Amino acid sequence: MTSASISKAEKSYIQAGLLTSPPRRADGRYLHDFRAIYLETGVAPLSNGSARLSIGRNPLDGSGGTEVLAAVKLEVENIEEQTLDGGRIACNVSCSPSAYPHLSSGALDDLQHDLTTVLHQTLSHPSLHPKNLGIIPRKKSWLLNLDLLVTAEAGNIYDALFLAARAALWDTKVPRTRSVEYKTPKTFLSASGDMDVDQDTRSGFDTRHVAHATDFELPDYWDEGEILEGRERWPVAVTLNLLHTVHFLDATLQEEASCASRLLVVYSHESPTAYTIQSMRMLGSDELSIPHLKKLIKEAEGFTRSMATSLTTKLEDEDFRRNQKAREKFGRRK
Amino acid sequence: MQSVFDRRRINGPEDSSAPIFADEHQKSPTPDLYKARHNRSVSDIRPIFLQPGLISQANGSAYIETERTKIACSVYGPRQSKNTAYNEKGRLNVEVKFTPFSCERRRAPLRDAEDRSIAVAIQQALLSSVRLEHFPKSTIDIFLVVIEADGIEGCVASGSIAASMALADAGIDMYGLVTSCTAAVIGEEIWIDPTQEECDMANGTLILSCMPALGIVTNVWQSGRMAISQVLACLDTCDGRCTDIHSVVAQALLNSARSKV
Repeated sequence: MTSASISKAEKSYIQAGLLTSPPRRADGRYLHDFRAIYLETGVAPLSNGSARLSIGRNPLDGSGGTEVLAAVKLEVENIEEQTLDGGRIACNVSCSPSAYPHLSSGALDDLQHDLTTVLHQTLSHPSLHPKNLGIIPRKKSWLLNLDLLVTAEAGNIYDALFLAARAALWDTKVPRTRSVEYKTPKTFLSASGDMDVDQDTRSGFDTRHVAHATDFELPDYWDEGEILEGRERWPVAVTLNLLHTVHFLDATLQEEASCASRLLVVYSHESPTAYTIQSMRMLGSDELSIPHLKKLIKEAEGFTRSMATSLTTKLEDEDFRRNQKAREKFGRRK
Repeated sequence: MQSVFDRRRINGPEDSSAPIFADEHQKSPTPDLYKARHNRSVSDIRPIFLQPGLISQANGSAYIETERTKIACSVYGPRQSKNTAYNEKGRLNVEVKFTPFSCERRRAPLRDAEDRSIAVAIQQALLSSVRLEHFPKSTIDIFLVVIEADGIEGCVASGSIAASMALADAGIDMYGLVTSCTAAVIGEEIWIDPTQEECDMANGTLILSCMPALGIVTNVWQSGRMAISQVLACLDTCDGRCTDIHSVVAQALLNSARSKV
């Protein structure tokens, strides 16, 4: 994992600060405090859903911090195998070289691949699959492409990626489709030359009664569509940085370089009582015993719960800002 | 989509799939597989065959076989890392390669994206066990060839056992042997050491790599939907199995060392 190069003296200084009681961090935060998180949805108007998230941005000029841009684009796919019925999700993370100036292009590719693997394996799992990604059963379905771009990195990249992904998926709207069937018109059988109005004149493009759908159309081109199903299920990740007996959240680059290992736990909080683990990874070379691991998994649940509730509140706020407030603002102009 | 033509090999067709025969190997419907797990109980692992010292030109090597997973591992090192900057701890470089005939669908001989994720998991499992501070400026190369694969989780688990044994066979200083075990949650039960079909049916899978001699965990990899209680139960069961596997690995190394004398 990438980390800033850090001297032994600095590493020891940071570790000593974290292990004293009360623990001290460079910016004065407590062990379980996050830096300020800025979130905005609807930043990419051409996409079906998008979000921009930054952790630890400088409030005065907006520089610094970890910044992730996430966007969802839906594509129509022809179903070839049975398993694709109902749509599928493909995640991709790309890291801008400006975020990692010290990495070579090969190392950057490897990092991109690792981040993509974690996100894709977690988010494309059948248990999180939204139900409204099919168009025509066994023929066509939506392919949901979730692309994340890391434009700046100042530590805690996994949390940022999962938060941005959840925000973009929350914001996603699936265009409404209507199935269409093509039928050949019945030929006139009467021999007389009268212009009899045949009761059965139906246009070949009659879309009212579709027995066997062969194609689809968008009833309203400008309609954004319906919300992607299952938005409460999308998971939230927390990275617990481990240092001997203490664990802390939201590490800066220097703090990440000072602690030998991290535990990434991804929880899905569908409702206050139903929560499940969607993914877990260990990164680094520190020692961890099974009882300690169990304790960390249980604590991670509490952390992700508060992250998920505050994220949901913020996303609902964003929805309100973009829809209702905008309508009120334009409605006022008489 | 451009297909890459490898001039060094006879390229097979771009798309290939296994032929389907009418009567043979009908995939049993899900309820059947759910109830019956022939030959072993849900908390039993498949029998393991381990052989160190398979590849004579490598510093250390091992071959592991568990029913339908066959992996050969070779270790070269510690040798000088020529291109990288000075680092006071040694580097562990793991490379995994799937042979084209290892899976049901033919895999291209070129390096795949999946190879890297398995290599990263195995490296994570071995990182805490090797005394890298004894090898500054050096690299230890671990090459794994998967001859037959029965699920990705099975490959990661068997690969890390083979790699740890190969490292021991090479005489590299280690804190302890690393063993791994996989578990899958199917319905309400926890099945240990699942095969590919069982993993596909499962809600979630978990791979645990640990050093039973020291009682520490080196890698946890979980994927899929699992409740906290199920995760904790999987960790306990896998830990017990890892201790069993450890005795098998230690015995195999001991036999090999005795036969060399």
